[in-house]
Amino acid sequence: MSIELQISSVFARYAGNKTNITVNGNTVGKCFEDLFSQFPDLKKIFLDKDGNLMRAYDIYINGASAYPKEMTKPVKDGDKLHIVPVIYGG
Amino acid sequence: MLSREELERYDRQIMLYGFGEEGQEKLKKARVFIAGAGGLGSPISIYLAVAGVGNIRIVDHDKVELSNLNRQILHWQENIQKKKTDSAVVKLRKLNPDINVEGIAETITEENIARLAADADIIVDAMDNLPTRYILNKAAIDKNIPFVHGAVNGFEGRAMTVIPGKSACLNCVYHGVTVPQEKFPVIGVTPAVIGCIQATEVIKYITGMGNLLTDRLINYDALSMTFMEFTVKRDPDCEHCGKKQNR
Repeated sequence: MSIELQISSVFARYAGNKTNITVNGNTVGKCFEDLFSQFPDLKKIFLDKDGNLMRAYDIYINGASAYPKEMTKPVKDGDKLHIVPVIYGG
Repeated sequence: MLSREELERYDRQIMLYGFGEEGQEKLKKARVFIAGAGGLGSPISIYLAVAGVGNIRIVDHDKVELSNLNRQILHWQENIQKKKTDSAVVKLRKLNPDINVEGIAETITEENIARLAADADIIVDAMDNLPTRYILNKAAIDKNIPFVHGAVNGFEGRAMTVIPGKSACLNCVYHGVTVPQEKFPVIGVTPAVIGCIQATEVIKYITGMGNLLTDRLINYDALSMTFMEFTVKRDPDCEHCGKKQNR
């Protein structure tokens, strides 16, 4: 399964200056595992100390929210994943 | 009825197909509550003032600081240590003497939001923290007032519009999540873009033009210069607008 995962430009420095990353997996969780194997520094950005996705991020699959239980959601070849941080500044 | 001077001032927008004098009259009668006179509140209030929104209430409890001036274009060097609302009211009245501008220097709370938003046709979220954004969102739902959300961080921003009872609300998107309140990085051009999107939504809502940014969260990434649109749906269990909240 080849999935295109997009992260905010803010985090590109942890991913070899890339914002679009190809990952493999049949669930969101598996895709994240592949992401962290490629770019280990992203793990501490997105996961809490218990290994769960921090609540400060939302996951979208092909532009639609994956909430709730995001990590268990299935994905298929060609899907696009987005990791979107909660922001509050004004 | 628009005066001869108003017809001239707003000539270029009255020319717009579907806008006309009728659209201008709607703007003139409108009451807009802008929560925040900072990075987002600056472009929002400026563009609504010059567009001829007749009644603008802008609320902010802060005073102007030097570090605000990279983005908060309502405020100038001479305004440092002055109330942001005082600074805002002076500038907006100079930009357009024909409109009513009211500044209220208060902290927005669950206790005063009903009073602050009273008689507003639309609420605009230009805050700098999530808890107050949730207060605004809840009040908008409870009072059945449309709500235009915007937020920024660094080179990134987002916006969406909420029509109570019809479209997803801010709490449907964020599910009550809060994050530690820290000083956030930002460059002025980011709230300029997002604030202008919010002001555009207000003008569209008041005049009834176009399609609103409802059930869609638009995300702007300036570094890649991309706009992404995410689909958001009403959460039936939402603590603000879900079924249990409908009475």
